[in-house]
Amino acid sequence: MSGEEEENAAELKIGDEFLKAKCLMNCEVSLILEHKYEQLQQTSDDPMNQVSQVFEKSLQYVKRFSRYKNPDAVRQVREILARYQLAEFELCVLGNLCPETVEEAIAMVPSIKTRGRAQDDEAIEKMLTDLSLIKKFE
Amino acid sequence: MFFHIVLERNMQLHPRYFGRNLRDNLVSKLMKDVEGTCSGRHGFVVAVTGIENIGKGLIRDGTGFVTFPVKYQCVVFRPFKGEILEAVVTMVNKMGFFAEAGPVQIFVSNHLIPDDMEFQSGDIPNYTTSDGSVKIQKDSEVRLKIIGTRVDATEIFCIGTIKDDFLGVINDPTTV
Repeated sequence: MSGEEEENAAELKIGDEFLKAKCLMNCEVSLILEHKYEQLQQTSDDPMNQVSQVFEKSLQYVKRFSRYKNPDAVRQVREILARYQLAEFELCVLGNLCPETVEEAIAMVPSIKTRGRAQDDEAIEKMLTDLSLIKKFE
Repeated sequence: MFFHIVLERNMQLHPRYFGRNLRDNLVSKLMKDVEGTCSGRHGFVVAVTGIENIGKGLIRDGTGFVTFPVKYQCVVFRPFKGEILEAVVTMVNKMGFFAEAGPVQIFVSNHLIPDDMEFQSGDIPNYTTSDGSVKIQKDSEVRLKIIGTRVDATEIFCIGTIKDDFLGVINDPTTV
């Protein structure tokens, strides 16, 4: 596939289908999977046997790498990031990695600068401060 | 990255499942069929979260099986080239190390580990800087960039690098 070759997340080339799709941050996935796992627990004695290996590995992974634990904080993170005209994918990378400096944020999401948006360093700085505040008050 | 997307699948159902539980049967069969599968295009299907709609069934000539087109929402994990993510180291050897990010395996070759990190064999093989301040071993958490993906029918495999700014170890199990 030629489309496969051109794929590059740094330039936000992830295919139309995924660009329009809803991205999920690790903490959001964690909420969804835990909820599903609890449902399974109610209906069967040995839920770990019921789920696929992919589910189990994903659940362990998102539990380990969730930056925000409580559902309110997760919602706030999305609200704050949504103010900055980010693509879904960029929003989630920032939410997952929680960069601390402007340089780090640009290194993690290079497309933030290249897409010709009015995203200056000051705005990025403000966004990162807002994010770290949520973490602090969680 | 995890995504929440809508997929479609034609489900074949045996006539013995027809009745008032038809929908439930269809949904549980769908979950059994698709959860845990992997395709190159959509990545790993982690969990079905909802049903958008179930179309009209079509009886197959000669068998009595009925095919239903089912649209469903699901959580998928799809790695992309150029994506930066965090992963857990699962194995270290002199060729490099393997790490896991959810269902996907990522290999980081020793050419893509910073030059100042040397391989140390022993009980716990690891990569360590000359001053010993940074160490990569099993269970370390690393931040890496995916630079290549290989897709086959049932698995996606990635090649990663930690030789770039802001990449590398984020959490060392020995110091916690």
